[in-house]
Amino acid sequence: MAALLRGLRAGRAIRGLGSVVAAPTATTPQCRSLRRSFHCAALRLQDESKSDKPPSSSSTTYHEHYQAHTTEQYTTAASQGDSASDPAAEEASRPNTSYQDQSGEQGEEYETEEQLQARILTAALEFVPQHGWSMEAIAAGAETLGLSSASTGMFYNGAGDLVLHFIAQCNSQLTEILAEQHKQVQLGQAEPKKTADFLRDAVETRLRMYIPYIETWPQAMSILLLPHNIPDSLKHLSTLVDDIWYYAGDRSTDVSGSYHPRSPSSTAHTFLSPSHHHPHDIRPATIQMNWYTKRAALTGIYNTTELVMVQDSSPDFQDTWNFLDNRIQDVVNMASTAKQVQSTGEAVVQGLMGAAVTLKNLTGVNQRR
Amino acid sequence: MAAPMRLLVRRVIRLSHRNIHVSAAGASGRSGCCWGTSPCRCFSDDRNTHFGFETVPEAEKAKRVYKVFENVAQKYDVMNDAMSLGIHRLWKDTLLHVMHPQPGARLLDVGGGTGDIAFRFLEYVCSQQERQKRRATRSMQTPSWQDISNNYSTEDEDGPRESRAVVCDINKEMLKVGKQKADSMGIGAGLSWVVGDAEELPFDDDQFDIYTIAFGIRNVTHIDQALQEALRVLKPGGRFMCLEFSKVTNPVLARLYDAYSFQMIPVLGEVIAGDWKSYQYLVESIRKFPDQEEFKHMIEDAGFYCVQYYNFTGGVVALHSGFKL
Repeated sequence: MAALLRGLRAGRAIRGLGSVVAAPTATTPQCRSLRRSFHCAALRLQDESKSDKPPSSSSTTYHEHYQAHTTEQYTTAASQGDSASDPAAEEASRPNTSYQDQSGEQGEEYETEEQLQARILTAALEFVPQHGWSMEAIAAGAETLGLSSASTGMFYNGAGDLVLHFIAQCNSQLTEILAEQHKQVQLGQAEPKKTADFLRDAVETRLRMYIPYIETWPQAMSILLLPHNIPDSLKHLSTLVDDIWYYAGDRSTDVSGSYHPRSPSSTAHTFLSPSHHHPHDIRPATIQMNWYTKRAALTGIYNTTELVMVQDSSPDFQDTWNFLDNRIQDVVNMASTAKQVQSTGEAVVQGLMGAAVTLKNLTGVNQRR
Repeated sequence: MAAPMRLLVRRVIRLSHRNIHVSAAGASGRSGCCWGTSPCRCFSDDRNTHFGFETVPEAEKAKRVYKVFENVAQKYDVMNDAMSLGIHRLWKDTLLHVMHPQPGARLLDVGGGTGDIAFRFLEYVCSQQERQKRRATRSMQTPSWQDISNNYSTEDEDGPRESRAVVCDINKEMLKVGKQKADSMGIGAGLSWVVGDAEELPFDDDQFDIYTIAFGIRNVTHIDQALQEALRVLKPGGRFMCLEFSKVTNPVLARLYDAYSFQMIPVLGEVIAGDWKSYQYLVESIRKFPDQEEFKHMIEDAGFYCVQYYNFTGGVVALHSGFKL
């Protein structure tokens, strides 16, 4: 520990970080501040590409001075923000240094602006039931982190930023859950689910994340429909649907007629999987749109179920889950019906061809004289 | 009636001739006379700064700026309307919209002598609070028994936080005019008037949510010191906003703007306020102020984050905003 500190101090001296830091009061804040300043220098080098602000040496030293002044002020705020920052920290890429784990707190000015914004928005989510999806909720969130309400000026899109952040957070949570389940199946600890069940569970898990905010969710949906938010909300939706299909075992990457390798985990595909039912590797034109069809179908299911959920008043949203079951069943039926129609059609065509040949034989047209 | 008019016209022509002479000669002429009269002083005080197109020792600039604003204080608002054709009201309204203050915010308006920004701030926050109250009553029109009992139990907690605005100016005359305006408009609650220097504010650290300086920072001798002070008195998360004249980007508009500034504005100053030289100083000081990008770098150097600027009226006025994070 002492050697670490000496190394840090030497590192700082070598970097020539300029003017003397105002003498910090106790040794422990000094250790923390040293660690943080080293960490900050490392972070700054890494984040230079991200933030377009060139960190001048004068501002670095000012920050160290400032930070030594106000360590006590930040301990309470930072420890409050710590739990909230963990999901945000996982999203953002941070250098995997051990200093991160050793210091119990994080200096707010040493993270990038995006990370701080993510933390503010996460803190703002708990005020949404009270204030709705609005700037007031963001202001209340900023205040719990110890920042002034004027910092809401950073969010040019206002409530839209809050809603999009929440959706991104839900999507990443869902991805984690699905990855965890996938791992379980790989390890053989769980049975692979049928595709229909898998989709149903994934959509239900995802929609359940809205339950704490279900009162204000119509407001959030209307915010997402504003023209300047539509590109972002569509992007989030398509990422969500793509992720669900990926974990359901669909690995198709193109829409050409080539054979798609199947994923090892899911062997029980029953619908919308062409290679199963075409032993001769004939791929009719309808299968070429498979990738789009799957995603379009799931998007439709997801959106309609969300709408049903918003006005559902049954206990534990039972009506919504029944609706979801029915929709997925519809898609399954439709897919198998489509296949049946296709094979029937082919059979009919073959029958007609055979009848035509027989007729030609009977009338003697086919004979060669 | 005719005689004083003739006198005035002759004075105007004489002053405009002097104006052309000065702007042609630039800084060298005037600074020459200054150095001629007191060489020793200039040698010992070797840090000079600009006062319009003149070069003056730094110690003197503050005094001269003080005199300028002392002279113009009474007619300041009238002159603003005349010079900007009333557009300055739009600029200040836009400043408030970008600021979007939340109820309970504390504002420090530096160099805000006659109080324009502070009045708008209080109005904005009042209307925000009213809107919130209306929304609350609308949503509570069918309260459940739970809500009613909650309301009774929380009645003694203090109501929505009071927003406060502090107007700080180095010039007592400007503050006097501001106070008179406030009295006549009937705004009294939540407003304080403080005499102070932007380079050395008489406030503790971490006091204010928002710091504004509207059309004042170009009069400050050491701009970086003013920025440091702004950083000091702002709370963490606080916002720095600076409304200031800046460089016009469009060349056609720039020509028109220059012509208007140097020909019309001092004349208006003479006719309306009886003070040519102050308004000459005003337009010259606009030209000496750094442009948008440079000022943005200065703000970043002082330690603010998320710095950006908005151009109004094609760059005639720029609003710079930064956060203390």
